[in-house]
Amino acid sequence: MPARQVLNLIKQRFNGVIHRVDIPEDSRLLLYTGRESVPDLCRFIFRDLDARYVISIGIDDRPYSGNFQVAHNFAFENHHVLCSLICNLPAEDPQIGSISPDVPAANWAEREFRDLLGIEPVGCPSMKRLVLPDGWPDGVHPLRKDVPWDFRPKDYDDNRIYDFDEPPEGCTVVPFGPFHPTLDEPSHFRLFVEGEIVRGCEYRGFMVHRGIEKLGDSVLTYNEIPVMAERICGICGCVHSVAYAQAVEQAASVRPTTRAEFIRTLMLELERLHSHLLWVGLANHILGFDTLFMQSFRMREPIMWLCERITGNRKTYGLCVIGGVRWDITPEIKADIIRVLDQLEKEWVKVANAVKGDRNLQKRTKGVGVADRTLVKEMGLIGPMARASGVPLDCRKDFPYAAYDKVEFDVITQEGCDVWSRVLVRVLEVFESIQIIRQCLERMPAGPIQLDLTDELPAGRIGLSSIEAPRGESHHFVVTGDDNRPRRWRVRAPTYQNLQGIPAMIKDKPLADMTIALGSIDPCFSCTDRMEIVDLRSGKVQIFSQQDLIRLVRSSGSAEQTV
Amino acid sequence: MNSYLMFVTQAVFNVALVLAVAPLLEGIIRKVTARVQSRQGPPLWQPYFDLAKLLTKEDIESGEAPAVQRFAGYLSLAAILTVACFVPLGSQPPLAVVGDGILLIYLLTLTGVATLLAGFAAGSTYSIFGASREMITMLALEPLFAITIVMGALKTQSLDLVGILNGSAYVSNGFPWAGTLMMVVLLFALQAFVGRVPFDIAEAETEIMEGPLVEYSGPKLALFKYSQMVKLFVYCALFAALFAPWGSGLIFPLSLAVLLLKVLILVLLVTLVAATHARLRIDQALRYYATLLGVGFVALLLALLGK
Repeated sequence: MPARQVLNLIKQRFNGVIHRVDIPEDSRLLLYTGRESVPDLCRFIFRDLDARYVISIGIDDRPYSGNFQVAHNFAFENHHVLCSLICNLPAEDPQIGSISPDVPAANWAEREFRDLLGIEPVGCPSMKRLVLPDGWPDGVHPLRKDVPWDFRPKDYDDNRIYDFDEPPEGCTVVPFGPFHPTLDEPSHFRLFVEGEIVRGCEYRGFMVHRGIEKLGDSVLTYNEIPVMAERICGICGCVHSVAYAQAVEQAASVRPTTRAEFIRTLMLELERLHSHLLWVGLANHILGFDTLFMQSFRMREPIMWLCERITGNRKTYGLCVIGGVRWDITPEIKADIIRVLDQLEKEWVKVANAVKGDRNLQKRTKGVGVADRTLVKEMGLIGPMARASGVPLDCRKDFPYAAYDKVEFDVITQEGCDVWSRVLVRVLEVFESIQIIRQCLERMPAGPIQLDLTDELPAGRIGLSSIEAPRGESHHFVVTGDDNRPRRWRVRAPTYQNLQGIPAMIKDKPLADMTIALGSIDPCFSCTDRMEIVDLRSGKVQIFSQQDLIRLVRSSGSAEQTV
Repeated sequence: MNSYLMFVTQAVFNVALVLAVAPLLEGIIRKVTARVQSRQGPPLWQPYFDLAKLLTKEDIESGEAPAVQRFAGYLSLAAILTVACFVPLGSQPPLAVVGDGILLIYLLTLTGVATLLAGFAAGSTYSIFGASREMITMLALEPLFAITIVMGALKTQSLDLVGILNGSAYVSNGFPWAGTLMMVVLLFALQAFVGRVPFDIAEAETEIMEGPLVEYSGPKLALFKYSQMVKLFVYCALFAALFAPWGSGLIFPLSLAVLLLKVLILVLLVTLVAATHARLRIDQALRYYATLLGVGFVALLLALLGK
């Protein structure tokens, strides 16, 4: 019924513009409309119905319906409904009114489908390139179906330079990245700094595209994709694997076995544990407090060993297949898990008390990287970012999946809106995860861990799945297809939205706070940069070739003197 | 002529001593830090290997003004080694005959100046940030040692280093109130003088990538690393000479052993503070320095009043 309630709310205001409605299950609502009504509908959904913006997806549906498609996804937390607003665009004129003026959080997603599919968001406030590298030729859109997955443009222009904004008057440019000790992955923030104060910044990322989504709809098969999906991220890989499997299962109306759902829940929580422990360590390293960094990594290690015992790997668990999981929890492993959790809980109580009482830490984190409720709403911030601002977003409660409706836990929130609150949220969530895993072990029923699926999955069906990753909601959107693979698979990792909040969080704040503000979203750039095929050699945002660099570095050095 | 030769021998001894022992202190820091962090830690002599490796690496020149950068490296080590010749290490300060308290104050500042030069010569945004932070730190901190030396000079009624650096600021020798206050102040400032967490703000690897040293590598980096290690030793010895002269009257090898023990205690203190704190922001640190400076001036006033 919830989906129908949401539908009625929309119909009361917009009658006749919705062409078709699909309600595949109670918590999913698919609306089809004409492109002229999209901006108005989105504004209404986002502003008046107070839905959360999730993501926009461009789809090349020309081989099947002759059209391009754009889907705007929204989440109705109050109704527990995920909604997708879909419209067709004629192949010869792929244009759609931009929703960014009304929904600021949609800016990246719109620029992305402009880059990758050539769908023009008319009226989008920022039209700069987002995903494609600087030298990529105009007019080539790699996610279109007529572009092969291994396509390399002949006219790639190594010398083309990204058109960065001019710094405001009185500001110097401090490049933060593409490589920086606190960034574990390449990403480029161009900071405009006046004295020690950051006045603004420009982001240029997407440097580690690996073409995963393209591979998903052209090379891989349904059951190969989960293994690829978990390679999207080195920390929350299992999240992507489960989110993808759930999206396909929802589209095809199959439900995995109950035991499999418990095992997925258990692995997701183990992943949250090691991810939060990693974050607490890294955040403290950024602040120069290396002792807690080392201790937290030491406590994390038994969890990694546990994962290795269960799945054979510390990371990349190879857990999911459509309709179930691959690895079972044996009684011996169960005993191991309980032992490790008891030990961790005992030690983490000490850490939590030490952190809560550390005034030095509070000095560096209180009032830093502030993201208030308005920013959370406007930019669609999620996960610990939202929860630390008093917004209780948690997909585990809002859109229960796997076995989360069969376990009890609290959603941890804090009201500070700052880095300190995010520290507290993550530190306390560790205890909740431990509780969830214990309940999973107790309540897990016996039974098969996989469905025996032999028939083909139906084509052209849409699946939406949201999972609470350690960093926030991971959203997967799947359109099922023929040839045993999806037609379109879109991954929206949490950092994709959270990163868009950064410029507002660091503006007019000291440069020294920039790194921890960025660190506090627990950024995961490879998650964000998951798609697109880029020649690794030329794909770097680099105006020098390797030879140029070597020559430059050594021009006045001893290397030349000895020649 | 004979005494002249003796001074030179002593100076050479001082330089050799700090060069030989400083990396070991660094090794102790690393080992103790590792233990606090539940790690095994590197062997005690690892810093010697590190320096040897850096010194034999290719000498790459980068940055805006390579000549100035090279000079800054030499200056940094030379300045702190000269300071070492003005500090009593088991015997009288060897070069006290040629310099007085004022010279020592200048020399202490010079090591900081070398870091500034390095930062500005590298010409990278990060190094200039580091240099400007270093400058702020210098302006706020350097007066503290100067105040102490002036206090010592007041007490001994002379700028002669032999007198000043023999516990002139020590509580029962000098001014009881002023001496106690100043000792506490310098104890709190020591961490900042040697640039360790929470006061490694000018280098702040995770923010500005080692700041002034961002363009340094190989032998030139070794010079700076070495001078930082020596700096820790010399500042601890200076602190001991000013505030804790016990045992300095003993015969030579014994007096040195007592001094090394005092230095070791101070180094352990620095290590533990560094292992249990997060880095401060420059504005927070500045507020901290300002407080120390304020108390320092109060101590100087008290000394002037003979308290």
